[in-house]
Amino acid sequence: MRLKDRSGRGQRTGGPRLWSLVTWLLPLLVLWGMPRPSAGEDRVIVRGNYYREASTRVLQPTVDVEVDVPDERLSLGAAYVLDAISSASIASGTAQVTGGDLVFTEIRHELTAHAGSRLGEWTVGGFFRYSSETDYIARGVGVSASRDLLARSLTLGLSYGYNFDRVYRIQANTRVRAPWCGGAVDVGLCQSGGRGVGHNLHQVHYVAAHYTHAWHRRVLGLASLEVARSLGPQDNPYRGAQIPTSEVEIHPLGRSRVALSGAVRWAVPKVPIPIVLEPRYRFSADSWLIRTHAIDPRIHVRVLSHLRLRARYRYYQQSASFICIDPRAEVLDDGASFYCSTADGSFATADPKMGAFRSHTPGIQLVYELDGLAKVRGMGWLERGWIEATYNHVFQTNRFGNARLGALAFSLAY
Amino acid sequence: MPRTTLARPTPRTLTLGLALASSACVTVTPAQRQTLSTPEMTPVTEAEEEVWHTHFEAAREAGFGGHGGAGGGCGCG
Repeated sequence: MRLKDRSGRGQRTGGPRLWSLVTWLLPLLVLWGMPRPSAGEDRVIVRGNYYREASTRVLQPTVDVEVDVPDERLSLGAAYVLDAISSASIASGTAQVTGGDLVFTEIRHELTAHAGSRLGEWTVGGFFRYSSETDYIARGVGVSASRDLLARSLTLGLSYGYNFDRVYRIQANTRVRAPWCGGAVDVGLCQSGGRGVGHNLHQVHYVAAHYTHAWHRRVLGLASLEVARSLGPQDNPYRGAQIPTSEVEIHPLGRSRVALSGAVRWAVPKVPIPIVLEPRYRFSADSWLIRTHAIDPRIHVRVLSHLRLRARYRYYQQSASFICIDPRAEVLDDGASFYCSTADGSFATADPKMGAFRSHTPGIQLVYELDGLAKVRGMGWLERGWIEATYNHVFQTNRFGNARLGALAFSLAY
Repeated sequence: MPRTTLARPTPRTLTLGLALASSACVTVTPAQRQTLSTPEMTPVTEAEEEVWHTHFEAAREAGFGGHGGAGGGCGCG
């Protein structure tokens, strides 16, 4: 009877399977049947990012490969990121409720697969990202579409992303991984899997609209509007030790954010060497009452025919979250220590980015284009390749302290 | 019943509005795009770096956005 049933199901599903195959193949056939644009560019980019502050160091090598199969009508790519995070114990003296002291040494692996297609005036794309570390599993999917208008002078784009992460905490005394549902949920009642209060799912819905417009043959204008809604645990399970009024950090389980940003790139005319000025500004606000402003002017100078220099200065400031601005809140922010707790004890934080602070970031970048070297016999494979070196120094007024950011990257087209 | 009045636009708002309106339908032909096609004028050349900026800003600042795409999940906050 079972065999008969299976056989019957097989016969019944044969039709849908065939249709499913056709559904997948048809767009590809249509794609291949369209007029062929010029071949795109296959490229590999290797980067080494470096971050250093008083108590944390991050080394982050990345590899990104993109190929056109066979041209820009279908581009496939994959990226791998390794995060090696070394940190002093962020949980020094942590209460037993979260498992005691923990020395934070972390390796994170991230894999992203992305695909894109340019069909006439339309560009569409999608990605899937998976990231894993001992106490956090992140998954993200996203789609995007953009349309060129006004003879490709104007591009309007829309994108959507959804992250669904699982949050855990490592108990230092037992090294056992347990789910983390946020500081407001009793650790004994927190469940792994599922969704909603009492579960360790952290979700982010993200929507963005982008605008890029050539206002002039020397001026490019850019703007974007981004909105994000986060649900689930958003506090750190190891920071409780730094809050005298609470055993654990307690942040709300919901957060809405909006960001508006704009930039202009202006190629300055009639100067001895090509110069591009780029003022940037971003404003963001969220439901935790944090307002941020970032002003980031940059200057791009082509120093030599194959050597570009970029200098930047970024000013950033943010206001404190509602946890810290309650007139009756308990607040300590002396630059070395930081915590805030609402008067009723419902929310507490030791996260320096929940308090008000400002930062100044000067930075410099050099990019050497390898086309010059590619003219040497046997070095043609370097054509359209480049090497990039970047350094930024962050001066900031919070407990994280000043930070250094560096990156070395090279890229080859093939 | 209270009368609702609209805020009178300031000269600065008017200037900005006019500048945006006048640029709304500007078309730069392909033949005029030599300067726009240089790497300095092409934001996509910095896309990889923007991902890195998104990453550390998410870990160290409460602001978000401004880097042209969604960031990845990371428990390093």
